[in-house]
Amino acid sequence: MQDLKALHEAVLNGDAKTAKAVTEQALAAGIEPLKLVQEYMMPAMAEVGRRFECNEYFVPELLLAARAMKAALELIRPLLVASGAKPAARVALGTVKGDLHDIGKNLVAAMLEGGGYEVIDLGVNVSPEQFIAAIKEKGANIVAMSALLTTTMPSMKTIVEALKQAGVRQQVKILVGGAPITQKYADEIGADGYSESAAGAVAAAKKVLA
Amino acid sequence: MSMFDTKGHTAAREGRKPNTLKKLERMNTALRHQEPDRVPISDFFWGGFTKRWQQELGLPPDANPYYHYDLDWIVTVPNMDPWIRPFQTLTESAEEVVVKTGFGSIMHKHFEFPMPEMRGWETDSFEKLERATFDDPADPRRFFERGDNQIAGVGDGFQRNTPPWIETVKSLRPDFPVYGSIIEVSECLTRLIGQENAMLWMGEEPERMGAVINRIGEFYCETAKAEMAAGKGLLDGFVIWGDVAYKKCTFMSPRYWREYFKPWVARITEHAHANGLPVIYHGCGNVKAIFQDYIDMKVDAYNPLEVKAGMDVLELRRQYGHGIGFCGNSDMQVWETGDHEAIRREVLRKLNAAKGGGYIFQSDHSVSSAVSGRTYDYIVKLVRDFGNYPIQLGEFEERLQPDSSYSIPKSNIQKTSCKT
Repeated sequence: MQDLKALHEAVLNGDAKTAKAVTEQALAAGIEPLKLVQEYMMPAMAEVGRRFECNEYFVPELLLAARAMKAALELIRPLLVASGAKPAARVALGTVKGDLHDIGKNLVAAMLEGGGYEVIDLGVNVSPEQFIAAIKEKGANIVAMSALLTTTMPSMKTIVEALKQAGVRQQVKILVGGAPITQKYADEIGADGYSESAAGAVAAAKKVLA
Repeated sequence: MSMFDTKGHTAAREGRKPNTLKKLERMNTALRHQEPDRVPISDFFWGGFTKRWQQELGLPPDANPYYHYDLDWIVTVPNMDPWIRPFQTLTESAEEVVVKTGFGSIMHKHFEFPMPEMRGWETDSFEKLERATFDDPADPRRFFERGDNQIAGVGDGFQRNTPPWIETVKSLRPDFPVYGSIIEVSECLTRLIGQENAMLWMGEEPERMGAVINRIGEFYCETAKAEMAAGKGLLDGFVIWGDVAYKKCTFMSPRYWREYFKPWVARITEHAHANGLPVIYHGCGNVKAIFQDYIDMKVDAYNPLEVKAGMDVLELRRQYGHGIGFCGNSDMQVWETGDHEAIRREVLRKLNAAKGGGYIFQSDHSVSSAVSGRTYDYIVKLVRDFGNYPIQLGEFEERLQPDSSYSIPKSNIQKTSCKT
């Protein structure tokens, strides 16, 4: 069996083929799925995030690493579910109503999955009702919203208010991000956390859950 | 109604008005880093803004900000689609439309939303991208014929059967300095294969993707040459549209950008200069990591300098002196508040960048529908009141201490070739 460090390296280097192969071998050899995630994949994605923050990695490298991690996770996830292992949290993620730009949201999804979170990707142009349904029906305990345009960012406030109206605000933490969003704006609308970048979303999620 | 659908009011045969020549001199003087009579001002207006502005100011439905405020320049877009063909309508209702365009992208336009959504791409594999061949960059239909084109047609608005580019240029010329424009590779890739695929394939196959970028770069360089030839004697400048950065940095590494993207921007810039046209490069996001490169390429001015991405025109002037001109950077988010005091602070602070010339006043991207008509009216008045030379800004006066190692760029008039 290959050294499990190869899994870490494969994720870090965005090598999906190797990540998948090493994971298959490790699982066949009886290695605990959770060990693969927590000791190799999550640290690799954390390092990817660090390099992205430092401008050592750029969007192509981030996407490749996310794809490698996904390739391994696809093998591991059913086993985790069967074993009753819980994710760090369940995140309902989407761009707000009227906003159809999804690359930033997709990068956040990748980083959160790499950080041990389960992501319910609601896609683009997500209505308050869809976020509420994800909380009520799928047990999301974080709502993460993204907006690229100044004209669509007010929808974030609408969603925060809608969650209050629906009586689910206290069940979830709210994270916001996107090009025009600032910590000040997050505070103004009553969000619990803000991240300036995709890579920072994991730390922001951890912070609001602490 | 959309960002690039302004048509001229005056018959081309009437020639250029003295006021237009004055505006041209104002623009060119500013771009030479000398002080004209006043700071040039213009912008790019969302269709939603124009409608709101008309209603709020009680203006007729054909009122247009460029004419109403006698703005100092305007940009035009020819047909830059790789494949010149009509949009193929896939679904259509009163609220929305889905079309396949000449980029082969499946575009969903909901008429109430400000921007369209890309739902898919005809070129959906790397192999297809490598095999793709485009229509002739110099095809006369790009410049001389009416038809659908994605850049002009699917954006903040939705427009079909765009008039011939050359007619738009001729119709605007009597009243405005008119710029032609071209997209660079990054903008093409976003539409041709989607931004995520573009980034992923750059990461997966950097050299093979680099070869594709070079091929597309050559295509748009040749299209730019053909556009300059088609508009010979009619254009006053040239815009290169390219988005290569997000809020924090460039999408791809600066090294990769320098190797594959930069050379084509440099070549188009050289061609424009060879045709006597100043170049304004439009690129969103935080481009600090590659800003010096635009100076090295002798780009005349950089637009839009997004504040939300950390770009600040005064900081840039202090760092780079008059090595490059600036166009934009007035914070749209402040404009959207409608708070006159905050807007006054924002506008007057940015006018410091106009000292010594080298600054065209504009928003830090485009004027959105969240800006009120009265706010824009107020902003133009501020720029006209305080933008007269010598600039005097009172309490908003800031000292700029440019690095003396940068000199004013010289015009780069020489013949060049796009061929690699």
